[in-house]
Amino acid sequence: MMERRFPRDLGSLEPMSRFVAGYLDSRGFDPEHGYTVDLIIEELFTNMVRHGKGGPEVDLALGGEGKDLIIRLRDYGVEPFDPTAAPEVDVDRPIEERRAGGLGIHLTRKLADTMSYEYRDRCSVITVTKRLAL
Amino acid sequence: MFEIEVLGDGRIRLAGRLDAAEADRARTALRAVSGPATMDFEHLEYISSAGLGVIVESYKRLHDAGHSLKLVRLKPRIRTIFTYAGLDKVLTIE
Repeated sequence: MMERRFPRDLGSLEPMSRFVAGYLDSRGFDPEHGYTVDLIIEELFTNMVRHGKGGPEVDLALGGEGKDLIIRLRDYGVEPFDPTAAPEVDVDRPIEERRAGGLGIHLTRKLADTMSYEYRDRCSVITVTKRLAL
Repeated sequence: MFEIEVLGDGRIRLAGRLDAAEADRARTALRAVSGPATMDFEHLEYISSAGLGVIVESYKRLHDAGHSLKLVRLKPRIRTIFTYAGLDKVLTIE
């Protein structure tokens, strides 16, 4: 896995995207996949920024083999928040009746192949897998 | 980088990346729109749920005031995100 630490701040989204682009390029993936990977990371990371109140930094790791990409976000010193257990958003409801929030996790579920959550020693670890075309 | 340009004739040009870090800037710029509007997505490369939220807020505000909001020239990957969010059935997307 290639890992880098980023400040818990929305200003990290752009450097995270550059980190992703460099990693995808090193694996020979089509740069078009950057959109999907960036979106998954943004939706999970912004939840950590807004709700985590943990340490000053979050770790982002990328790995996998062949066509498989593994994305792992590690958030230290936080209360548990399991995005895999978040209630599903009903996107068929009229727009006036939709509640705020939840859409980011909904999009992550649509884009990811698998998503898992672990919590240990006040550390949240979210792991997403995604199969990409080369 | 994200750019938004609100033109006097109801056209709005979006460019770059509309992510959570840029959503407030987009929201502020779109408050200047008070009539029928067309958002041109030709140069928008990326949008997340935070960006979708800004578009939906603008749609609701304009719709409640009796005005239309049309989204045009979306890249296929951007359109897919609107579809996943169920917004393709709500918003006017051409």
